[in-house]
Amino acid sequence: MAIKSFQHAQHTYTIAYEIINPSAKYDLIILHGWGSNKEIMKQAFEPYMSTFRHIYIDLPGFGGSTSHAVLDTAEYARILESFLELIGAKKEMIVGHSFGGKVATLLSPKLLVLLSSAGIKLPKPFSVLLKIRLSKIANALGLGILSKAFRAKDAQSLNRIMYETFKQVVDEDFSSEFKKFPNRALICWGEEDTATPLIAGQKMAQLIEKNRFTVYQGDHYFFLKRAKSIAQEIEQEYLK
Amino acid sequence: MNLAILFGGASYEHEISIVSAITLKEKLNSLALEFIFLDQDHTFYYIDASKMDAKTFSSGAYKKLPVLHLEQGGFSQKGFMSAKHLSFEKVLNLIHGADGEDATIASLLEFYKIAYIGPRKDASVMSFDKFLTKAYAHSCGVDTVSYELLTGQRESSIAFPFIIKPTRLGSSIGVSIVKNKDELDYALDVAYEFDNRLLIEPFIEGVKEYNVAGTMCKDGLKMSIIEEPQKEEFLDFDKKYLDFSRSEQVHEANVSQKLKAELYAAFTKIYEPVFEGAIIRCDFFVVDGKVLLNEINPIPGSMANYLFEDFTSLIESIALPVSKAIKVNYTYLHSIRSAKGKA
Repeated sequence: MAIKSFQHAQHTYTIAYEIINPSAKYDLIILHGWGSNKEIMKQAFEPYMSTFRHIYIDLPGFGGSTSHAVLDTAEYARILESFLELIGAKKEMIVGHSFGGKVATLLSPKLLVLLSSAGIKLPKPFSVLLKIRLSKIANALGLGILSKAFRAKDAQSLNRIMYETFKQVVDEDFSSEFKKFPNRALICWGEEDTATPLIAGQKMAQLIEKNRFTVYQGDHYFFLKRAKSIAQEIEQEYLK
Repeated sequence: MNLAILFGGASYEHEISIVSAITLKEKLNSLALEFIFLDQDHTFYYIDASKMDAKTFSSGAYKKLPVLHLEQGGFSQKGFMSAKHLSFEKVLNLIHGADGEDATIASLLEFYKIAYIGPRKDASVMSFDKFLTKAYAHSCGVDTVSYELLTGQRESSIAFPFIIKPTRLGSSIGVSIVKNKDELDYALDVAYEFDNRLLIEPFIEGVKEYNVAGTMCKDGLKMSIIEEPQKEEFLDFDKKYLDFSRSEQVHEANVSQKLKAELYAAFTKIYEPVFEGAIIRCDFFVVDGKVLLNEINPIPGSMANYLFEDFTSLIESIALPVSKAIKVNYTYLHSIRSAKGKA
């Protein structure tokens, strides 16, 4: 593993990253999802695609990377942009899982690989709407502690800055970003995904102009068990 | 002899220490052994010999085992009303890297007057930091590979290819060979993650490397056979890790009598001033017929048992340095009082 510290918009960011196959010619940048880290992505993809220089990155606030500012996805992408320039990485191909998929989209790689990406707003189920109402009532009554109990699993145990960041990014609608995406995309989805349901993937495939959509068995983390066939799919797509 | 093996520690080599301890459990099975585990939060646990396997630690199951507390002369397990004292003659400090080799454990054990096999405080300070090791070797009359120290800088005056090492880590963690300018930035990011001081040394292709281990016994300095370690370019973390579980005997390196004598002489010069009480392994390079010290391992992986013919009796015959007890008898305060006419 390696770390690099740099200044961006008056804040110091320390980014933990790791490069596999350092002498390979083409760059493959891999971004994890919310609450995850580069080790999980590395565990899946390290054995494959050995003709690429794999660059695994912990997004600010996750794994070994720090963040001292409240960020939205666009700011995440700007930080990554500076970082990639610092390490001399080319945006040929970026793989992004879940939240990482949104960041990857904004970075406009030549080939975008979305693994159960976030970014499509679906109507909230009734249970979630109820939690929001109850939590707002609890807050109004000064029962902040009670409202914490209603927080999403992804938001629990976050520090204040990351909780504010979570609130920024969780509800962003990326429909127009997907629609604007000019290059090719490979969209991969887990059939039984409940965090970002299959229907979100189908919508994404309607929005991005040049894409190929493949569905795999599995949940939101389907790629952990399907890495080999996803890697083959990615290599094929890259060679097109 | 009843020996307590102390392992674990808040160190990058924590897991390697567990591997070493499991290896020594087999190797020293004719001795009465106790196992004391130090977790990464600095709590000591008593590990029953039957539970000495990787899973106890990786699963966190050790947390349910009895906690041990340091006390004068040893460790004890606190009960509801009484304390159970762990009985052993000596501790074997088997914590690799930070805690074990940086004088933390040495200081603790000395403070609590516990007899131990392992490097003393001064020995730890000299060998833990590769930069200080250079100075120590030179003052003992042993040469080293040339070097440059980086304290935040991102370039070196040494020509490519060179090797980058964090100054205060073992087991090849954070070490890279840099062949050209393109590889430098990432190698520095890797090394600076572990330490803010780095050592740059020229990378000598195909250098001859020899290891010698030894310790001061009651009847003089005992040195091991000379080993020529098998290596590719250099042992990285994963390969060294496997190296740490070694227990099979190795073959003596095929070296001339002259070189053999020089290697033993260099080991003696390094060992004698400060390493008494520890089993150390010195790794030497031979360049143009000259013996150079590469590094000192004051707690080598599985104690370099595979270099000794009879490791068990070596452990039993180690001579531990005796520290002089300081006696406070208040003579000075008494003299002041008598001077004031109050005695």
